[in-house]
Amino acid sequence: MKNITLLFVLIILFKINVSGQSYNTLWIPDTLSGTNFNLVIKDTFAQIVNSGNQTITGGINGKFWGPTLFINKGDVVHMDIQNKLNDSTTIHWHGMHLPAVMDGGPHQLIPPGTMWQPYWEVKNQASTLWYHPHMHEMSQEQITKGIGGFIIVRDAAESALSLPRKYGVDDIPIAITDRDINTANQFAIVPYGDSIMANMTLRAQYPVPAQYVRLRLLNGAIETSYNLGFSDNRSFYVIGTDGGLLNSPVLINGAAPRYLLSAGERVEILVNFSGQEGSSVFLKAYNQSLGNFIPGGESFPGGPFASFLGHTNYNIVKLNVTSPTSDPITSVPVSLVNNIFPLEADAILTRTITLSDSTGVTSVPILGPNAFILGHQLFNFNTINHSIPLNQTEIWELKSTSIFAHPFHIHDVEFNILTINGVAPPAYQQGWKDVILVEGGKTVRFIAKFDDYADETHPFMYHCHIALHEDEGMMGQFVVTNLSEVNEISKDEILINLFPNPSNDKLFVEFKNENQSAYYLTIKDVLGRTKLMLPSPDLKTGIDISELSAGIYTISIVEKISKQVITKKFIVN
Amino acid sequence: MKAYLLKVVCVLFVFIVTSFIGPNEKQVFNFTLRNINGKNVSTQDYNNAKGFIIVFTCNHCPFAKLYTNRLNDLNTKYSNLNVPLLAINSMDTLLYEDETFELMRQKANKEKFNFPYLQDVTQSVGKQFDAKHTPMAFVIWKENNEWSIKYKGAIDDNGAHPKQATSYISIAIDELLNGKSVSNSETESFGCSIFYRK
Repeated sequence: MKNITLLFVLIILFKINVSGQSYNTLWIPDTLSGTNFNLVIKDTFAQIVNSGNQTITGGINGKFWGPTLFINKGDVVHMDIQNKLNDSTTIHWHGMHLPAVMDGGPHQLIPPGTMWQPYWEVKNQASTLWYHPHMHEMSQEQITKGIGGFIIVRDAAESALSLPRKYGVDDIPIAITDRDINTANQFAIVPYGDSIMANMTLRAQYPVPAQYVRLRLLNGAIETSYNLGFSDNRSFYVIGTDGGLLNSPVLINGAAPRYLLSAGERVEILVNFSGQEGSSVFLKAYNQSLGNFIPGGESFPGGPFASFLGHTNYNIVKLNVTSPTSDPITSVPVSLVNNIFPLEADAILTRTITLSDSTGVTSVPILGPNAFILGHQLFNFNTINHSIPLNQTEIWELKSTSIFAHPFHIHDVEFNILTINGVAPPAYQQGWKDVILVEGGKTVRFIAKFDDYADETHPFMYHCHIALHEDEGMMGQFVVTNLSEVNEISKDEILINLFPNPSNDKLFVEFKNENQSAYYLTIKDVLGRTKLMLPSPDLKTGIDISELSAGIYTISIVEKISKQVITKKFIVN
Repeated sequence: MKAYLLKVVCVLFVFIVTSFIGPNEKQVFNFTLRNINGKNVSTQDYNNAKGFIIVFTCNHCPFAKLYTNRLNDLNTKYSNLNVPLLAINSMDTLLYEDETFELMRQKANKEKFNFPYLQDVTQSVGKQFDAKHTPMAFVIWKENNEWSIKYKGAIDDNGAHPKQATSYISIAIDELLNGKSVSNSETESFGCSIFYRK
């Protein structure tokens, strides 16, 4: 008996010893701000596991993940996206309202070695958005590698509020993911991981000052939803959802305050650490209380969906309370911003999108045996599922007949949830959203206005944000069309001047017909490798070709109205 | 009863052991590829070779770049024992501008490769070995005048910290040189994918 007691004591001491040594400081992504951003996506590797081999990762300007981009509403931002991956990719600006041709969906494929240069005016209000790969059938693999990053949009309304805003001090971004790390320390490409990661850090801990702290929480997982709460069941305030601040903070309290965050969603919360210096608390996922058909609630004993984290509770990050800052936030604002949501009365139509299992659908071959689908069909690159007139307000009815819950995401717009199964959503979901978890058999109705950007060529996407489901075809696409703009499609020949030619710095393109302009411009080298992709380029300032090595290149321009293509050669010397 | 249980345990043991034996022993053919000095190199040029260390690598892959010194060391040690190292670049030169023959030549000269760096421009050798990543290593061994793959996978188990690494290649060759079978004939390789043109 004594021996058994001794054994237990030794096991407990061993565990305490291991746990005491095993925390890593939460990595906080670097920041970039301004209006011009240079992002280099590359294959790389990182010491994810403390000992042993490095993990092959994908990073943007670093070893994994990417810098947090600070941008201001009203600014025109220019992105230089250089793909130095071994494979093609795309970068989608998740939650951003911008022209479809800049959106970075599956149609904006960036081949290896290519520079993509989208730009747009920031129309989003202050919010926590993110960017990530969106290459069809490769999203899961590339997101698993760790490619992505936060975007923090600032505006005057948010800046006027007394809210925590010191990045990494009292305003902390945390991207929550899970990974299956195999015996060779490599990320397996599976939907559920066995190891929780916060900002790509295993067993993370981080200091928080003894005051109100803002956590910007992003679910960057492939599939898992996280039922978030704190280990001491403390209450917290939700101040913002996917698309920005709520009208006023919503207190999440009670015996077990929780917030369910599904893949792709963000939530901004305020947590009060005042007077708790020296203590610690865990941000946790309480997934044991999730049903078997909520992602992360399943408890499969084996197979591709098995996970040690399935249907259990686990720590995400340990927060160690330290001394307050010199100018702490000590209270929660009574009100935040005045959101003006579209009115139901203004909705022209209700568009029903079904979420269902693919069983019995044989019209299109499926990638997996259990693929889920939208609108009773699998994604097809060449099918535009919906055409929406510019400035139209619509109600989208997401009707699930699926057995499983799916986080539905739509590009282009932020929406406002009207009802979930006929009932108004909880107060903390009554803000701007771009992802909503649609539980099996339930119906979610949201309202959105499709304004500002019409493009009959490039579609926006809507899809399940479980990357595996999206890759398998649970995705559709829509175009926004401008019915009031009647463009007479010119049959005139497209004639351009290229100058100077040869050139080595700036190349200017001039349409001889001033009614013609460029919709898309591509430059390829003599072997056909794409070097530059410029959506809707502003040609007045010239095209920067200083990075091109000497040689002969082909420039292809798609004319904006007629979509005719003109191709010319030029020389870089 | 005990004898019966012993039999069951023995059968299970044999089953478990055989389940873990890797799918090695694939035969590969002699090949000839162009070296960075412009001259062709063939496996048939090495009359005394007992085997070869074949490493698929490339110019641009960050993880592959970690291994230059280790490849030099492996070649120094084992070419003297008639197991020379041949590095092969099977990357698609049309897809990757960094993988041209000229840049291979520059890299090999700059980093003082002491082994042939061969361009597999048709990707036929990469396909024959079913090389999936850079770096990915193979040990092939001569048996009855034919080449058999005795090991495939990673070079070792620590890319960034060579001093902490266990060299799978060295263990495999040492075992073969001592007339033993390779105890760990396959490990996971990872790095940059080699995409093959159809």
